Amino acid sequence: MAVAVTDAGSDVGAGRRVSAWHFVRLKLRVLGNNFRGQGWRVGLFAVGAAVGLWSAVFGFSLFAAPGLAGNDQYATLLAALGGGLLVLGWLLLPLIFFGVDETLDPARFALLPLPRRTLVTGLFAAALVSVPAVAGLLASSGLIFTAGIFGGWPAALTQAVGVLAGLLLCVAAARAITSAFATMLRSRRVRDLAAVLLAGAAALIAPVQLAAVAALRDTDWDRLAAVAAVVGWTPFGAPWTIGIEVAQGRVWAAPVKLLITAVTVVALLVWWSRSLESAMIGTASSGRTSTRSPATGTAVTQLFPRLLDWLPRGRFGALVAREARYWWRDARRRANLITLAVVGLFVPVMLNLGSASLTRGGGTPESSSPVLVTLSMVFVGVLAAATLANQFGFDGSAYAAHVVVGVPGAVELRARMAAFSLYLLPLVLVISGVLALLVLGQPGWIGLTAGSLLATFGAGLAVNTLLSVLGAYSLPETSNPFAMNSGAGVARSFLAILSMLASAVAVIPMVVAAALLGDVWLWLALPVGAAYGLGAALLGAYLAGDVLDRRQPELLATITARR
Amino acid sequence: MTAEQPPALALRGLVKRFDAKTAVAGVDLTVPAGSFYGLLGPNGAGKTTTLSMAVGLLRPDAGGAWVLGHDVWADPVRAKQLLGVMPDGIRLFDRLSGAELLAYHGLLRGMDPAVVDQRAAELLDVLALADAGRTLVVDYSAGMKKKIGLACALLHGPRLLVLDEPFEAVDPVSAALIRDILARYVTGGGTVVFSSHVMEVVERLCSHVAILADGAIKRVGTLDEVRGEQTLEQVFVTVVGGRTATGEELAWLSR
Repeated sequence: MAVAVTDAGSDVGAGRRVSAWHFVRLKLRVLGNNFRGQGWRVGLFAVGAAVGLWSAVFGFSLFAAPGLAGNDQYATLLAALGGGLLVLGWLLLPLIFFGVDETLDPARFALLPLPRRTLVTGLFAAALVSVPAVAGLLASSGLIFTAGIFGGWPAALTQAVGVLAGLLLCVAAARAITSAFATMLRSRRVRDLAAVLLAGAAALIAPVQLAAVAALRDTDWDRLAAVAAVVGWTPFGAPWTIGIEVAQGRVWAAPVKLLITAVTVVALLVWWSRSLESAMIGTASSGRTSTRSPATGTAVTQLFPRLLDWLPRGRFGALVAREARYWWRDARRRANLITLAVVGLFVPVMLNLGSASLTRGGGTPESSSPVLVTLSMVFVGVLAAATLANQFGFDGSAYAAHVVVGVPGAVELRARMAAFSLYLLPLVLVISGVLALLVLGQPGWIGLTAGSLLATFGAGLAVNTLLSVLGAYSLPETSNPFAMNSGAGVARSFLAILSMLASAVAVIPMVVAAALLGDVWLWLALPVGAAYGLGAALLGAYLAGDVLDRRQPELLATITARR
Repeated sequence: MTAEQPPALALRGLVKRFDAKTAVAGVDLTVPAGSFYGLLGPNGAGKTTTLSMAVGLLRPDAGGAWVLGHDVWADPVRAKQLLGVMPDGIRLFDRLSGAELLAYHGLLRGMDPAVVDQRAAELLDVLALADAGRTLVVDYSAGMKKKIGLACALLHGPRLLVLDEPFEAVDPVSAALIRDILARYVTGGGTVVFSSHVMEVVERLCSHVAILADGAIKRVGTLDEVRGEQTLEQVFVTVVGGRTATGEELAWLSR
């Protein structure tokens, strides 16, 4: 009997069309259900919303400032550069800190008969329903106000359209880039390419930072205004400057800039839908080669990486070996590590290069000051340690094995710190070496840079270890290493920022010493910094270990993803 | 139960509530040493919750658990040494290969590395996992994952094995292998407690049975005491209370 493979006449699955509105309702429903009976989640969300609202008010007043002052000289400047920073933030911050909210995991839709276009627009619409998106919309509404002051209703209305388009651009950019990076990081071959690309993205910080410093120094406003005019014609600034263009009589610019924005959004969405497909069909385990090759050596020798052969063959050694393997084998951890390496290298280099070139331009012969060097090292150390803020969340329910065995908390935390330091300490050496030799041209400052970095890193480990025991949360079990759970993301980031502040406060003595002691400090910084960092980390492990011993089952419950 | 021989596992008045729902409402259970104990129950009866509280993974709201006389919650170190656990629906450290995972568990238990090596090699061989080589556990099939989980639970030679759904998603060949290993373990003086809803396996293996439904023990005793004149399945369906299809529903599925 011949069997028809295609069946056009079937009524299976025929029904009403699925619109983007369905996705939005689904997201709201999932968010609502997540809150049910979980008072602390509602609380976290409220905190997140409050922070979002506060930054929205702040942004609004910034964007509305030219209108309030009644001076349109710098309106374009503020709109183009401020808006550009907003886009850049949406582009980079999800990669570096926050991840993206994957309340609606694309993989869940793989079995449904949905056209790709419906899926992408639906997920896009759902992504717009979030605290950061609303906050961004409120903040950039300040531009409408400014445009209205100078150009009346027509300019305000045009800018309103521009603000909406700009928000679409921001969200589309965040989605497209995290999804693309997730796809890249999953396969081994392009992993290194991803690192390079990320480096390029981070390098974008440099010109912006230079511009910001230049603005602060109150020099060359006109040159900056010229830069802003150019930025206003790129996708970064186009949607934000429409209103002011109309107000200043260049009505023809509005449709052109809107077109630029629209084309960019569409391009981003197409890019997103490409990588979305690979996320849905799950190429997660591809790219792993030679898995069937026969094992060599006994079980214990296999567990320990060759470079770590010197570790004691006991509980501590096994924990360190397993953690060290996980930092590389787990896509989520690896993504964190690579991002950290790139950002940790670029930010201090750019910061010090920028200030050095500016001071030189100002006529002072000195380059960067010890305080600034110390501060940029504090930034790197704090950022590095913050990677551990949810270290138990990385493990998820696998942590049950430790609870079953009853691993002592202090041993566990010391081992986790040690394994992370195995990756971080070489990085610290490289960063401080590069900074001292190439950027500052002062080999004698290696001690200062390395010492500040070690002190901050140690203090940060202590703070974040405690946070990882008390404020752990479950991560979704998807293949996207940037995915975050539900709407509490903002509040969680807030918690992480608090911990970074706490670790930064913990190393204030190092900064003060750098400012007061002068040249002696160049020699003392390394031993003092290393001792300070080590001491802080050990104290943190001791204190947090005690807490962990008492709440192992509770910790397991919080990091187990609800199914 | 005699004075000098405490039960392998004793649960007294275990209660666990999740929000408004009571998952386990006062479970008492005494598992004699050397028994092969089946914990039966429909989905959502509270089997996993009960076993999690018994082995120290989930803190009970009330009640306690004792392993060979050692309080799991007051004296966890000694109790956990005597215990081997295979949880269900919980990830292993699956970015390790099978051998690496076994070595990890052995060293975490504070075992001598030489002993770990020897036992790991033997377990991998017996469970037919040696061929997998350096394949990561995350890439194992469901049956292989169950087997490596069992190997992790057996590695330190526990006196009591607690297994949650050891036969779920396991093919017949692997299931037969797991059955044989467990039977040998009990013959050698060990005690096994496992949860299941497969009557046939329970009837074939177990010396004792408890039926759990709605968070409470409904029937308990030796296999013969519980099933009496009927089959275990009949008793189970009677106790749990289910509905049978009349043939009227879901008419649209046939056409």
